[in-house]
Amino acid sequence: MVRVILDVKPRKNPFLPVEAECLVPKNFVDEREPRDLSVWVGNKERRLEEVVTLTREGTATSPEDVELVLRGDTSRFKRVGEYMEAGRITIEGDIGMHCGNLMKGGMIVIHGNADSWLAREMVGGTVRCNGDAHHYCASGYRGEKRGMRGGEVEVMGNAGDFTAEYLTGGSVTIHGNSGDLTGVEMAGGTLIVHGDCSRVCANMTGGTGYVYGMVHHMIPTFRFRETAIIGPEKVKMSVFEGDIANRGKGTLFIKVYKYPL
Amino acid sequence: MSELLIRHACVVDPVNRISGEIMDLAVRDGRIVESVSDRAEVIDAQGFLTMAGGIDSHTHICGTKVNFGRYMSPEDMRAGRTLKKGQMHSTSGYSVPTTYGNSYRYATMGYTAVLEGAMAPLEARHTHEEFMATPLQDTMANVLFDGNWPVMEAVRDRDVKRVAAIVAWVLTAVKGFAIKITNPGGTEAWGWGKNVTCIRDPVPYFEVTPAEIIETLIRANEILRLPHSVHLHCNNLGTPGNYSCTIGSMDVAPDLNKERQSLYVTHVQFHSYGGTSWKDINSKAHVVADAVNRKPHIVIDMGQMMFGKTTTMTADGPMEFNLYKLHHNKWSNHDVELETGSGIIPVYYSRKSIVNSVMWAIGLELALLIKNPEQCLLATDNPNGSPFVKYPEIIALLMSNPYRQAEIATLPPETESRISLPAIDRELDWNEIAMMTRAGQGRALGLRKLGRGHLGLGAIADIAIYPLSIGAIDPSKEYTRVIEALRLTRYTIKNGKVIARDGEILSNRNKTTIWVRPKIPEQHRMDHDPDFIRNFERYYTVRMSNYPVQEAYVPESTCIETEAVW
Repeated sequence: MVRVILDVKPRKNPFLPVEAECLVPKNFVDEREPRDLSVWVGNKERRLEEVVTLTREGTATSPEDVELVLRGDTSRFKRVGEYMEAGRITIEGDIGMHCGNLMKGGMIVIHGNADSWLAREMVGGTVRCNGDAHHYCASGYRGEKRGMRGGEVEVMGNAGDFTAEYLTGGSVTIHGNSGDLTGVEMAGGTLIVHGDCSRVCANMTGGTGYVYGMVHHMIPTFRFRETAIIGPEKVKMSVFEGDIANRGKGTLFIKVYKYPL
Repeated sequence: MSELLIRHACVVDPVNRISGEIMDLAVRDGRIVESVSDRAEVIDAQGFLTMAGGIDSHTHICGTKVNFGRYMSPEDMRAGRTLKKGQMHSTSGYSVPTTYGNSYRYATMGYTAVLEGAMAPLEARHTHEEFMATPLQDTMANVLFDGNWPVMEAVRDRDVKRVAAIVAWVLTAVKGFAIKITNPGGTEAWGWGKNVTCIRDPVPYFEVTPAEIIETLIRANEILRLPHSVHLHCNNLGTPGNYSCTIGSMDVAPDLNKERQSLYVTHVQFHSYGGTSWKDINSKAHVVADAVNRKPHIVIDMGQMMFGKTTTMTADGPMEFNLYKLHHNKWSNHDVELETGSGIIPVYYSRKSIVNSVMWAIGLELALLIKNPEQCLLATDNPNGSPFVKYPEIIALLMSNPYRQAEIATLPPETESRISLPAIDRELDWNEIAMMTRAGQGRALGLRKLGRGHLGLGAIADIAIYPLSIGAIDPSKEYTRVIEALRLTRYTIKNGKVIARDGEILSNRNKTTIWVRPKIPEQHRMDHDPDFIRNFERYYTVRMSNYPVQEAYVPESTCIETEAVW
């Protein structure tokens, strides 16, 4: 096992975005490799060491044995863990946009909050965010018709709008509230929201959604099927099919809902 | 004075009957000349394949609908990104790239002139603005007349001269190159939520048939003596059983011009389907090819479809709606007042689909069954059949039967009984390929006399040198080398200047926009026609004086003036 600690150096302008797609475990297997890594800070290309202090503990032979620990102000670090296949990334603070883009395997744990597009179009692996996630968590990027296809995303806090948009496979769990149009255009996979959300699963064609809180602005084009008792807690839920406006065959379990006035 | 000498070029130029001869080419001030002085810059072509610059006679790269294709598909923009480098702008996009992306990719494939397949006259400014941002190809634009109200009224009154006068006014006003008819009458009917099924259906309100529109415009075209013929996209695109409609449309065309065709039928692959539904679709390419072989006054382009992702865009609004109903993906529909419409959807052509496999075979069958390569030009209706970057693969397929057989083996087995491609063993040679990619286009667009599509004395020095010694390889067996070589020229020369070398762009700007100005007798001009002016002011949302495209939109242009035979 190797633990690589990346401590972000104080920056003159902490708001400049940092394109950090090189921060994936496979780039840190070999001790010498980080030297060739560079990041774009604003419109300047910088060597990684100019932005972070690297500390290595232990040795590794494959990416599975690598754990990256990001420490300090990483709230503007974008695309961390992009295309990651194995290993583990721990982020001790907040993380910037596009964390876990298109990731295929491994695990990302975020102790703070995540900015927009967390785990977008992810294919496999696990992402766990202990804080809140911003908009478009586990969704497809602009124009893409297939969002997240596999893996697991778990957000312990709240999530923003368009969470799990175009969800096609895998599972997304939000323990807090979720925003507007959660699960919109969903085509497969499982979406679980423990808190409230609004206009859930609009235009869905497949997959399963659960909302244990309150649904505001329930979409009227879902067909009510039955009432069912779900899970070990024996929650009484309404079961819907839809979205029939889109000839959808999805299933939606909702505890409480309110149609728009 | 600038001079250039290209040594040891293996020239293939069917117009001047040069077939793989090693020779030197001398260039002075952008033209091919007999000889140059010792001070000329020298390029050693090392015996590589050298042809005139490629011409694409039907492509969609500039204009409102192309741009709509860009912004409705941000996912396409994420593909094919290249960084800014030297003189090169950054580019992005695969099926609908940025204008610079199109221009650079065409240039590195040896293409020096392109014809935008459909420009709505009302939106011509946008097309010309994008032409300005396409720096390395000479550009021309077909102008849509399929649903033009004044034209249809004149067709109804059987007044060919009035049609000619309207066409002359519009072409001059919008700085267009030729007459394009897309699904004649169909797009107008689409305004009422209808379509026309074939050339004998009347268009709502105007009560003219597509056949009358086609024939009248062909006659008007010859009255104006335009360089190109009428450019027709037939009715019923992409409908099983549409081949009879295609042949019917060809039968309508009179033979009126000795120097070139009288009718150019575009992307015929999409118009050669047999069967009655998608379930029993089959190829009728042999019937269409027979018809073309019997009609020397018709030229077609393949409209080859290649497997993969792309975006379809056409002025044929109703057809795009039918496609949308199949795919249920995004769809854009657009109406251009008094003139035409358009539709756009992204598609994926799959090898696993029988329909797509039949489409793929039809394009190749057309090219192989039409005897004269001058009558069947190579194009994919970019990006409808596939992006133009696949041209090298298509050329390799046409040159190699083993390659075709290998590809057929990957298709669903049910395809084989629906196509005739497996039984065709014709393999095209380099002369025929040169004919299908530049020389034929030069003739079809009426530009051969102006020195395009060939390398004879006085021709414009647009030259493509591909890193391939054609004597040393057998394209039938070594088709992968053919593909590789045609993808990236060693040198692309335009107007005697090197614009690309080994994929690197070396020029900022080297282009002209070619447009036509037909001259008709003063008293017949539409500027003085009270009827035309009254209807224009009554129905258009634009004033007639604001309609014409100003000179500022065509800073680098070549105007071809024609004298109408009135």
